[in-house]
Amino acid sequence: MADVRTRALRLLFACATLVATSLFQQAQAQARLEVSEASVKAAFLYKFPGYIDWPASTFPSAAAPFTFGVMGQDDVAAELERLVAGKQWSGHPMAVRRVNGDNGLAGLQVLFVGRGAGDRVGAVVRAAQLPGLLVVTENEKGLTYGAAINFVLLEDRVGFEVAPEAAERNGLRISSRMLAVARRVVQR
Amino acid sequence: MIFRSIRSSIRRKVILIVMATTVSALLLSAIGLAVYDLRVYERQWTSDLTLQAEILARASAPALQFDDRDTAAKDLKLVRVRRMVLQAALYRQDGQLFATYARTDAGELPGFPEHPAADGYRIQGDQLVLFRRVVENGEPLGTIYLRAMYLPWNRLRDYLTIIGVVMVASVALAALLSGWLQSTITGPILEVARVAREVIDKRDYALRAKKTTGDEIGELVDSFNGMIADTGRRADALREADQRKDEFLATLAHELRNPLAPLRNAVEILRMPVATPQMGTRALEMMDRQLLQMVRLVDDLLDVSRITTGKLMVRRSTIVLQDAVRDAVDTVKPFLDARQHSLELRLPEAPVAVEGDRTRLAQVFSNLLHNAGKYTEPGGHIAISLERDADAAVVKVADNGLGLDPAFTESIFEMFVQVDRSLTRTQAGLGVGLTLARRLVALHGGSIAASSDGIGRGTVFTVRIPLSGSTPEAAGLAPASTQNAPRRRVLLADDNVDFANSLASLLTAHGHDVRVVHDGAEALRVAAEFLPECAFLDIGMPKVHGYEVARRLKASPATADCVLVAVTGWGQEDDRRRARDAGFDRHLVKPIDPEQLEAILAGAGRAAKAGEGAPAKG
Repeated sequence: MADVRTRALRLLFACATLVATSLFQQAQAQARLEVSEASVKAAFLYKFPGYIDWPASTFPSAAAPFTFGVMGQDDVAAELERLVAGKQWSGHPMAVRRVNGDNGLAGLQVLFVGRGAGDRVGAVVRAAQLPGLLVVTENEKGLTYGAAINFVLLEDRVGFEVAPEAAERNGLRISSRMLAVARRVVQR
Repeated sequence: MIFRSIRSSIRRKVILIVMATTVSALLLSAIGLAVYDLRVYERQWTSDLTLQAEILARASAPALQFDDRDTAAKDLKLVRVRRMVLQAALYRQDGQLFATYARTDAGELPGFPEHPAADGYRIQGDQLVLFRRVVENGEPLGTIYLRAMYLPWNRLRDYLTIIGVVMVASVALAALLSGWLQSTITGPILEVARVAREVIDKRDYALRAKKTTGDEIGELVDSFNGMIADTGRRADALREADQRKDEFLATLAHELRNPLAPLRNAVEILRMPVATPQMGTRALEMMDRQLLQMVRLVDDLLDVSRITTGKLMVRRSTIVLQDAVRDAVDTVKPFLDARQHSLELRLPEAPVAVEGDRTRLAQVFSNLLHNAGKYTEPGGHIAISLERDADAAVVKVADNGLGLDPAFTESIFEMFVQVDRSLTRTQAGLGVGLTLARRLVALHGGSIAASSDGIGRGTVFTVRIPLSGSTPEAAGLAPASTQNAPRRRVLLADDNVDFANSLASLLTAHGHDVRVVHDGAEALRVAAEFLPECAFLDIGMPKVHGYEVARRLKASPATADCVLVAVTGWGQEDDRRRARDAGFDRHLVKPIDPEQLEAILAGAGRAAKAGEGAPAKG
């Protein structure tokens, strides 16, 4: 009898352990996905300038920084700050600035409007139609609002779609090599 | 058979040469090209593949950066147009395989490497593996991997196939060409070879090779034909000379034997107790005549040997030609008288002076007179005349004898030639008289020619000798008078006992004091005590030879004044020189003319050397 009980207890314990373990693992995986999604977006943001030409007039001086503006997604901003530390773009030191509204966009080369921006996205994107500014969104209507690049999530993998004309409106040219890896290229 | 093998061998050689040249040239150039091409192939293929990898790297850099495996795979798939590329792969910077491509029709392929290797290429058998970093803006992103076929041996095989085909074609063409060309080269050579063999087989020197080309081979054919002609002429000349020599030897044997019978008869007559003094005198006269004839024959023989060895010499001095003609007439007169010929002698009053050798010129004229007497029927008429024209003395010997076919006017001067073979052998002679005459006249700078109006109309020999600018000297040595010859002490050394004793008897009869010895040692011993005024020494004596005896006699003060006379059977210039070197004052050749002997003895007391070099007949 005692044996049976002991056995049942053991089984229960084992089941509990199993469930607990799987739950923990699931949570962990979720966390990792979120973390990796932010870092992937940060990495992409960091890599985009390698395929885009900014006119020299974008920079007030040769020593002026190449500045990323991040709005509404602090984990991306943090990851991006880590990535650009000590890096340069064509001789300009890279920097990251957290942006909260549609003002404070001056001096930026890249503006990322994250999911945290909520329904302000459209207004911000429209306000960000400035020469030499690359606007990146994370919104189904991002390109419609006028962004040049928009992140999409497909099968748990981060990808992006591009509207080259939106970039050209701001005086930027996106390399065809980058277009080759875009999920979608929107032409008018 | 032999022809066929020669033919085929030279043909085969020419073809072989052409083939060997062609094949070796082709092989060498093929090897050179193959080696060069293999190196170029490796360099080109690797650089080609590197470029490929670079393009891939550049194209796939965004895919790597934006983590787009699909695009990366699509990029890699671009290499499928390069059929030689078997596999392609893209590794991330952390070494993880990112995208792959493999040819589906390439058969069994090794798996993709788990991790990329360092940049560069490696050849693995018939495949080439290449790694290349993907770098974007100075940032390493990953590695491209390519695996491609590397088939230099296929290329080499293609090469060898082409070379093989070219070689077979070239060899065939070369064989055709050489077959066509060689006929122009070997054809004439084979013709020469054929003719050469035929000439050797048939001994037919009239054969000639046909000349078909004007090049060196044509020259060869000409030279070859010339050589055949020359060889033919030589063979004819040799055969003729050989025949003449045979005839000459037969004649010589006969001529030498002829006088022996009368001599033996004369000896028998002298032995006969019943022989009257008259008979004895006649026998002696006959013996003298026959001996003279033999001496003449042997002299002729010696002259023949001088002609053949080119040692015939004349001594030059200014002489009166009339003297030589008279000498000749004196010599030949008895013979002409015996043949009952009448002799007409026409000489100009004024002396005709020429540079020459009186004895030799007398020999020329006596030979011509003897010849005329021989070839004229007994009771004929013979004339000798001397005239002078602008620059030469002209001596003509004419007869009314057998005459001469004008075709033979030159050939009669050749050695051993006798025109009329119908002559009885007793009269024939050796057939060297005219040869000798022509040679002697030539040595005097003159010429001799024969002419005839034809067979049976007599012959005229004309001798021309250039005139001398100077007047002749007074006659040389006055003939020694035997009566007044003073008594001399004479030493006679000769191992020929008969010769020595007979000469000793002759000298003793003339009143000289004579000692006879038979070897060199004895000669030296006797000379030391006898102190001879004159010594006749044989050269080839036992114990001490004549040269040595002469040297020692001259070295000893007691006998230094003695006149030394070498007596030998050899009269060549070389022998005379050696005798002079040994210290001999005179050199006589056997048989010795008694008059010469007396002349020497007469002069022995006074200037011993005044007479050196005086003509010694021989």
